[in-house]
Amino acid sequence: MYEQSLGVLIVEDEVLLAVELEFLLEEAGLHSVGHAMSSTEAVTLAHDLNPDLALVDVHLCDGPTGVDVARKIHDDCGAVALFMTANVKRLPDDFAGACGVIGKPYSSHGVKTALEYLTICMRQGQAPGPAPIGLTLSPQYAALWGLDAVMPKAG
Amino acid sequence: MTDLIQSRRAAEALAAGQGSDDPFAAAIGATRMAMIVTDATQADNPIIFANDAFLHLTGYGRDEIIGRNCRFLQGPDTDPAERARLRAAIQAGEDISSEILNYRKNGTSFWNALYISPVRDETGALTHFFASQLDISDKKRTQMMLSDSQHGLEQLVAERTQELTQALEQKTALLHEVDHRVKNNLQLISSLLLLQNRRVSDPAVKAAMRAMLDRVNAIATVHRRLFQSDDVERFDVSAFVRDLVADVMGSSGRNDIEFSLDLERVDVAAAKAAPLALVISELLSNCMRHAFPDGRPGRIFVGIKRTNGDFRIEIADDGVGIESSAKSSGFGLTIIQLLCQQLKAKSETTDAQPGTRVVINLPVNGARP
Repeated sequence: MYEQSLGVLIVEDEVLLAVELEFLLEEAGLHSVGHAMSSTEAVTLAHDLNPDLALVDVHLCDGPTGVDVARKIHDDCGAVALFMTANVKRLPDDFAGACGVIGKPYSSHGVKTALEYLTICMRQGQAPGPAPIGLTLSPQYAALWGLDAVMPKAG
Repeated sequence: MTDLIQSRRAAEALAAGQGSDDPFAAAIGATRMAMIVTDATQADNPIIFANDAFLHLTGYGRDEIIGRNCRFLQGPDTDPAERARLRAAIQAGEDISSEILNYRKNGTSFWNALYISPVRDETGALTHFFASQLDISDKKRTQMMLSDSQHGLEQLVAERTQELTQALEQKTALLHEVDHRVKNNLQLISSLLLLQNRRVSDPAVKAAMRAMLDRVNAIATVHRRLFQSDDVERFDVSAFVRDLVADVMGSSGRNDIEFSLDLERVDVAAAKAAPLALVISELLSNCMRHAFPDGRPGRIFVGIKRTNGDFRIEIADDGVGIESSAKSSGFGLTIIQLLCQQLKAKSETTDAQPGTRVVINLPVNGARP
């Protein structure tokens, strides 16, 4: 599973952030398959492009719809969703099916480290260690990737 | 009229039984407490005696009430449940006390503290009822006013509480909104710097932009940390340093530089968080940029502890030393000096032989003891 470089859908209404994210993805060994700015666009692209991973902001250009987007991408498209938001505290307890969250404002190093870490988790089905600073895993994914004994450090 | 005659006879019999010069009868006749006696042996239990105080209280003449049942005292607003309770006690021949709304002859009402007790003869047969009445309208009025004002107060408190709860909710929502915008804008600023940095080829410009990016990142880390804790007014300096070091170390790509940390938990006021973070970030960046040129490996130590009255922040490296490093970063040093001035902190740079040691002493005033 996930032998090739992971394909990533960026769901972000700030274009400059999205463009910079694409560079960071490449540097971390992943690649962008598309960019959505609204919830409908995000769900359509997730269906059409079959990304491995979706980076989802909570506030999109049609409102705070990112949580629903993450749930649909997780439930219907079989992709792994990861929140990237300034509203970490407002996420539902189950992370809407997403694997975790990177809090904004993030540093480029923080994002690259988190993406490299997630790549290993997804490829091996097993975390190589506790989550790096800046990345918080959802309880479900922490358990799935064998971290239930060691709680990841909140970043 | 037969009833009336019968009642008068009964009254005479009562008086005869007690003797007309009986001092108890005289006392009852003269007391200020309203009192009546009814004849329980006659149909409908009529009044056969009423003292002057009763006539004065109710406004009736004696002739108007002798021979009548005392329910004429009741009126439209008399509580039916209390009436039923009185009726039941009288029927059962039991004593009862009640606070009941009664009416005078002129139609005005008064609160009556009524006490009725049965009177029995030697054989135990019920012969009379004795009843005393006391006007407690003043007491009732005070009671009602108290209960009204208490109710009013409770309502006021409830309204005020709701207002405050609403205000708090609004404040919290606003705080979240502002926090969200600050973080997003910081992210935007850092993305702008990163994007432009990717296009710049001049190494000097690239270095200057990189330094600026580090500063923005330091402020961004402050904001990420500030709202993570429940206390938005305090800032955990050591937690910040841990984040910052992880970031600086990771993004430098220098595996040959080792970090050692000795961090006590130290909180400063949120207002001081950004300037202090900038100072620490600047010092760390200086170490990374200048202490270990040409792949020279080394160590950087960061220590935070509380000394008497001060927070002591130490950043030391074992690199090329103060002589060679100080010249190179004019703007960074200016920032450190200015911010230390703002924080009323003392910065001291010494030769660590090898390397450089910078110690910042920050006064604790206003910080948690």
